Amino acid sequence: MENRPLEYDYTVAKMFMFTTIVLGIVGMLVGVILAFQLAFPSVNTFLGSGLAEFTNFSRLRPLHTDAVIFGFTLSGIFATWYYVGQRVLKVSMAESGFLMFIGKLHFVLYVIGVAAVVVSLLAGVTTSKEYAEFEWPIDIAIVIVWVLFGMSIFGLIGIRREKALYISVWYYIATFLGVAMLYLFNNMEIPTMLAASPAGESGIGAWYHSVSMYAGTNDALVQWWYGHNAVAFGFTVPIVAMIYYFLPKESGQAIYSYKLSLLSFWGLMFVYLWAGGHHLLFSTVPDWMQTMGSIFSVVLILPSWGSAINMLLTMKGEWQQVAASPLIKFMVLGSTFYMFSTLEGPIQAIKSVNAIAHFTDWIVGHVHDGVLGWVGFMIMAALYHMAPRVFKREIYSKSLMATQFWIQTLGVVLYFTSMWIAGITQGMMWRAHDEFGNLAYSFIDTVTVLHPYYTIRGIGGLLYLIGFLMFAYNIYKTMTAGRKVEESELQNASPMGA
Amino acid sequence: MFHWLEKHPFFFAVGVFVVIAFAGLIEILPNFAQASRPVIGTTPYSTLELAGRHVYIKNSCNACHSQLIRPFKSETDRYGHYSLSGEYAYDRPFLWGSKRTGPDLMRVGNYRTTDWHENHMKNPSAVVPGSIMPGYPWLFTNKADVDTAYAEQLTVAQFFSVPYNKPVPMKDGSTKTVKMGNSVAEANALALAEAKVIAADMKDQDVKDAVARGEIPEIVALIAYMNSLK
Amino acid sequence: MDIAEIQAYGYFGLTAFLVFVLYSYIYHLYSTDKKEGGHDYENYSNIALKDDIEDTPVSTISDDKEK
Repeated sequence: MENRPLEYDYTVAKMFMFTTIVLGIVGMLVGVILAFQLAFPSVNTFLGSGLAEFTNFSRLRPLHTDAVIFGFTLSGIFATWYYVGQRVLKVSMAESGFLMFIGKLHFVLYVIGVAAVVVSLLAGVTTSKEYAEFEWPIDIAIVIVWVLFGMSIFGLIGIRREKALYISVWYYIATFLGVAMLYLFNNMEIPTMLAASPAGESGIGAWYHSVSMYAGTNDALVQWWYGHNAVAFGFTVPIVAMIYYFLPKESGQAIYSYKLSLLSFWGLMFVYLWAGGHHLLFSTVPDWMQTMGSIFSVVLILPSWGSAINMLLTMKGEWQQVAASPLIKFMVLGSTFYMFSTLEGPIQAIKSVNAIAHFTDWIVGHVHDGVLGWVGFMIMAALYHMAPRVFKREIYSKSLMATQFWIQTLGVVLYFTSMWIAGITQGMMWRAHDEFGNLAYSFIDTVTVLHPYYTIRGIGGLLYLIGFLMFAYNIYKTMTAGRKVEESELQNASPMGA
Repeated sequence: MFHWLEKHPFFFAVGVFVVIAFAGLIEILPNFAQASRPVIGTTPYSTLELAGRHVYIKNSCNACHSQLIRPFKSETDRYGHYSLSGEYAYDRPFLWGSKRTGPDLMRVGNYRTTDWHENHMKNPSAVVPGSIMPGYPWLFTNKADVDTAYAEQLTVAQFFSVPYNKPVPMKDGSTKTVKMGNSVAEANALALAEAKVIAADMKDQDVKDAVARGEIPEIVALIAYMNSLK
Repeated sequence: MDIAEIQAYGYFGLTAFLVFVLYSYIYHLYSTDKKEGGHDYENYSNIALKDDIEDTPVSTISDDKEK
């Protein structure tokens, strides 16, 4: 043992890679079921009418969003942190028994938390706040998991050999701080078991129930400050952390402009938090906040594109790599979808556009071109890059990876195009008046017209899921049957089998 | 100075935190002082209505239905007067929703009846042909959780001074008092009295029998809540 | 002065301050590598590229202590 040279220790990274894949499959599968439930309502009872309570759209919907956000994406963030963190700080987890213990505890508690979330959401125990549906006992568990993540970040930084913090580490730190602040404030709630009746009874009713500290408009304001920025610190910041490491490393190219990456970082940190108000345009929150939300959403294009262009320019003069490597394809297309999505978002935040887009499927389309095209692609690319290093084996099949890339790209395109058309159609129909000033359509007209688009969306989602299963299979085969590789093959481009 | 910050993780983290906390500090906190005053005519939820609101949340109705009418002619034509901030003063949590797969429900109590909801919740497409809303037949057998609703009433009365058992001004100049029980038994009795009024307008014999036995099916509570949305 | 006014001044003041900091940061970034004892920021890209555990850190802890 003592004679072996020091190596990076990927034990915890491996554990989180596993949950990334499993929860990704769960979240996406539920998503596909939901998509088909909207197209074909009979799917609501796909496990029989006896279980309909647990399989209908409304009960499953929070499970889908939470499984992909807190399951798939968060696991991906943790997995890459336990990989990238060690490497850019040039310190191994094996050097600290304490950090190793924290890492493993982090994983175990995370899995317990996930299990509790699944059970509670299926049972209908929810606070109704989007992406913050969990009741107070689970909230406490999540805070503990998050503190462990923070200990792991700052612990590893504390024993580092590399004095300068790489840009990815900046983004991981911001992820930790941002989510901590948002989550704590949005989930302020009072357990109802604390109340006592005038007759002296206490602990009345369900012990896990709680009531929000904020009421009505304030509650909405805090929720969308959270909801919007959960996207910032869950789907943007940590994913940018990933691409700043994995794209340069895989391609062997230095970041086009390291200075630009630092500037975009501060720009993103400052501007993003202001943009939450765009979820509440034309609502009852004060006007100046709505306007602020609109303006900052547009300004947000700058730092977002700063990062994305920086990534694309990193490939300058090396575009043949994009053609040659499916792994680079994932990252370059991911970066392109990021640009696309961060342009689309501000457009939807313009008041006159929002009047049509809000409450429609266009918003759903926007979320998914960002999440499927950017977050999903980037996390899969990161795991593909990590697999040969972690398992010391070649990626099982390059051609399978290339096929997966094209299937999933087609899936994403079908998804967002159908949702654009659906959203704009519905938005226009809701506001249409006839020549006498009466509403031109009853609500149900605006629902039945969407059927073909819902079907296309379902197919798009299904293609993406199929691609994800191919990814899972490819990683599994890499782990068990890939050719063993030497350290020297692992410098930049990942080794891939046919 | 900048370079020093970049190499000292703790102070760096403090810097990041200041920058990200800034928006929340300016945007959200000061507003708390002035918002959430009820408009005249807004009353707290009764025990049964609150239990119904829990049924609404339990089944994530807010995943497909908004409760926010925007100030556009097309919306006020379709759903009624646009929403006012004070109307939400007793909503914990808010239920504005983010997606209108189905129509807005902010003032559904103005134009739908107990009878309509009963048929619709059993099989929506029989009432609205072409509807993609699934049926909710289990609401007719599951029992509403009145105890938890009562605990919530006690909590908001205690911590947020929600005016239960106190006269609340109404639009016509009169006052209305929403009663809250002094004990669990009393709360259940109040809820049951309300449930009986709803059940009288319903046709489902099992529901009528259950209410006669002193039980409250979820559907009764849900309809009480929907009828209160005006 | 009511709370809305404090809010407005606070907002304006802090934003102006942060904009000032951002511009001086840009100046710092683009001038430091030309200065004596400055740092070449682009060099930090190598933290990702040369990240084997035996690789020499781009800026070591001990370096800093000598200065």
